Amino acid sequence: MANIHLTIVTPEGRFYDDDAEKIIVRTTTGDVCILPNHIDYAAAIGSGEARVTTANGEMRKAFAEGGLLHVSNNEVQLIGNRFEWRE
Amino acid sequence: MAGSMKDIKLRIRSVESTMQITKAMQLVASSKLRGARMRMEASRPYMKVARRAVWDIALHNTGAQSDYVMPREIRHRCYIVIAGDRGLAGSYNANILKRVDWDMKDALCVFIPIGKKAREYYHRHGMEVVTEIEKVEGLSFETCEEIARQVMAGYDEGRYDEIVLAYTSFVSVLTQKTKLKPLLPLDTKDAPEEEQIHRQMLCEPGADALLKTFLPQYLAGLIYAAACDAFASEQAARRVAMDSATKNAGDMIEDLSLRYNRARQSSITQEITEIVAGAEH
Repeated sequence: MANIHLTIVTPEGRFYDDDAEKIIVRTTTGDVCILPNHIDYAAAIGSGEARVTTANGEMRKAFAEGGLLHVSNNEVQLIGNRFEWRE
Repeated sequence: MAGSMKDIKLRIRSVESTMQITKAMQLVASSKLRGARMRMEASRPYMKVARRAVWDIALHNTGAQSDYVMPREIRHRCYIVIAGDRGLAGSYNANILKRVDWDMKDALCVFIPIGKKAREYYHRHGMEVVTEIEKVEGLSFETCEEIARQVMAGYDEGRYDEIVLAYTSFVSVLTQKTKLKPLLPLDTKDAPEEEQIHRQMLCEPGADALLKTFLPQYLAGLIYAAACDAFASEQAARRVAMDSATKNAGDMIEDLSLRYNRARQSSITQEITEIVAGAEH
């Protein structure tokens, strides 16, 4: 299955920088799911749960608040104000 | 002779205690520098990624350029100046404050000082201070967000035509560079190459609205990263300054002990001469 590259950064550091299968993020207009080969896209992140399915199929949950979700060239950037893995 | 010997001894003692202080300050600065550098490194990937994203949105498929990209005629400028919390860091504080002074020219300027030294400076010189932040050390992202929101509101209302961030960038422990970075309008030096611009992009909720919500966060990120950078520079500058102060104190002690020994020797010689002269009589 095709993957999409995901980078998660906040001013405090980098939280993820690897391939992923699927990313679900709560934006200000509702939950958005990004799959590989998504068109170029940008949305403001609201406040809520983010779910990342990594390249080996494992699902990781996190809390994300504020910032921007940005997709370009089959690369996703989650530029958060606050981000925390929940595990 | 005895009097001067005592004087020299007193001076040696005072230089020694100064040396202890400078040495302690140097050690503190070194350990703080380590933490500051780590925080600085951590904020770098964010800046890189966020910068690209902002430009993608700012230049995205709209025919007309966004208000945040177009330069305006500059009459009112707002400086966010990050200087140190304390002195004794060589020319660190003076350099950045001077750099801003030279840059002001004939625009009407207001200031947002961050750090105690910047604050004192602008108050003393009777400049207009909009907001002030007491401490650079441990500056939180939330505080940066507040500043960013405030300057952006000012920019939207036309109170400021340009917003400039002044800080010292950490190059290495021995070199730090003062920097003036335009925040708004966006620094065109950061703009991507023409062929890298993605003009076909889906923005939710709309490019302008998105820029309005994300820009303050991006600016906050810039301020936060600059503060981390400046704090690392301050610690490095202090470390170097205190290192050379410690060395100078060591040289002084050496010089003074030599003089002390000479004075002691000549007083002994004199005493002997006096005794011998007394015995001969």
